[in-house]
Amino acid sequence: MSIAPQEQELAIPKRMLPPWLMYSLLTIFLWGVWGATSKAVANDINAYMNQVLFTIGLVPLLCLVVRSPRLAGGKSRKRGIFYAVITGILGGTGNITFFTSLTLGGRAAVVVPMMSLSPLATVILAFLVLRERISASQIMGLGLAVVAIYLLSM
Amino acid sequence: MHFPLWLLFALVTLIFWGITGVTQKLSTNAISTELSFLWFVLAFIPIALAILLLVPLDWHLKTRVYCLAVVGGALNGLGALTSFKALESGGKASIVIPLCYLYPLVTIFLALILLHEKVTSKEGAGIVLALVAAILLSREAPPKAPKCD
Repeated sequence: MSIAPQEQELAIPKRMLPPWLMYSLLTIFLWGVWGATSKAVANDINAYMNQVLFTIGLVPLLCLVVRSPRLAGGKSRKRGIFYAVITGILGGTGNITFFTSLTLGGRAAVVVPMMSLSPLATVILAFLVLRERISASQIMGLGLAVVAIYLLSM
Repeated sequence: MHFPLWLLFALVTLIFWGITGVTQKLSTNAISTELSFLWFVLAFIPIALAILLLVPLDWHLKTRVYCLAVVGGALNGLGALTSFKALESGGKASIVIPLCYLYPLVTIFLALILLHEKVTSKEGAGIVLALVAAILLSREAPPKAPKCD
């Protein structure tokens, strides 16, 4: 039985990756390269200079969202903006301490995987503050994370 | 026991960025990812301004260093945007989030090949465990089913 012409136009070629997977792979690449570029300059600048230059690279990305119709609305704008600003302040301060770790001799191949364990703090905080349930997988992850941090610090 | 200073700063970073996992969720529960990203980026500006005002900086840098540091900021921000897009394009959080936490594999590859870093066998085991742990930590418990009377 052949496909009707209308259906042929709508058929998605099976060899293409789904968009969510392409964006995920792109994220892995972008963050992965960022980890390496951070270490590449860690011997040349201190964490404060890096933070200023990092911000210069980050701010122009606002042009990608500034025209979005999704900037309007929101269930609770003040609350959401408040937490977004807190996220930015903690993210920026964390970026300074992350870079300082690299300048003090931490290798990217060790420090960056350790940073992927930040959900360790997220899970504990979400349990204590948001009363979120911890899954069995997360409990295993907590245990492995502690062992991983120990091994990475040796 | 020797406690290297780089490790202290790494652990502090882990805590700060771990807290952002909660604050970002609280933010995007209330507003769109675009609005959240906008204010997230704007929050970086006063930090940079404070540094410019309070910290003496050496601006005599090689072009390569300027470029890599600035590009680092762009890469990090773009990665955040593409991670949002992955979730908004139909990707399940249970797959996208752990998948994205594999990004250190790219850093490790580049660090070993381009930066000529070396890793001990214990550190290698730690790296593998860290990536497995990151994936396990991202697997949230299912929400409680509502009681039916």
